[in-house]
Amino acid sequence: MTESTYSVRGMVCGHCAGFVSEEMERVAGVTAVAVDVESGEVTVTTDRDLDIADVRAAVEEAGYELDDRHSRRP
Amino acid sequence: MSPFTDTDPKQFIADFYASFHNDLLGSDEDPGLIVDRYHTPDVVQVADGHWMDRDKLVAHTRPVRKNRPSGRWDVHDALVSGDRIAARFTLYVTNRTRDLAIESHMFAQFTDDGRMRQAHILTRTLPADAGPGQPMPEMSERQVRPA
Repeated sequence: MTESTYSVRGMVCGHCAGFVSEEMERVAGVTAVAVDVESGEVTVTTDRDLDIADVRAAVEEAGYELDDRHSRRP
Repeated sequence: MSPFTDTDPKQFIADFYASFHNDLLGSDEDPGLIVDRYHTPDVVQVADGHWMDRDKLVAHTRPVRKNRPSGRWDVHDALVSGDRIAARFTLYVTNRTRDLAIESHMFAQFTDDGRMRQAHILTRTLPADAGPGQPMPEMSERQVRPA
């Protein structure tokens, strides 16, 4: 299992968190998603390495914008 | 002078949100200018415990413009005191992938020219098959006055 944290711009409320979570959960390999609206951080647990392009596409599909900052913890 | 002097409070809230929404989706105007037409520079909104200032409101215009939802604000109740208003309304949203009905309970303060200064809002997403919200029934004399 790998945990990665991404920075997402434009989330302001619980509904925003729900939209982003919904799209992230559709990405192959994602097993859990946690969103912190205040910090704009989305923490994703996966069973494989994710392609950043897939993550960006999911965030964009929800209507939001991925920041370039992200961290990864095995 | 009150921002609600010449208008029905329920209509004021419905018009405020609909006009803000239409301005965002009806043009490519700088979102900061649009936000500033409807909010004071020191605006604070707290929605379900999440704190929003002007910068966050401007940032939130991006997903609104990207998703281009249609919105309808059905205001069930609104009570005014000076420059403050309490309202209960349901926001119906339809965008590319979903239909949502969000019931909202709000306490807010507006300037004389109708800009929002602060708002505290609690929301809950209604089940997809929920009917429209209903206004509170009129209280009878017996209900208002303790026995």
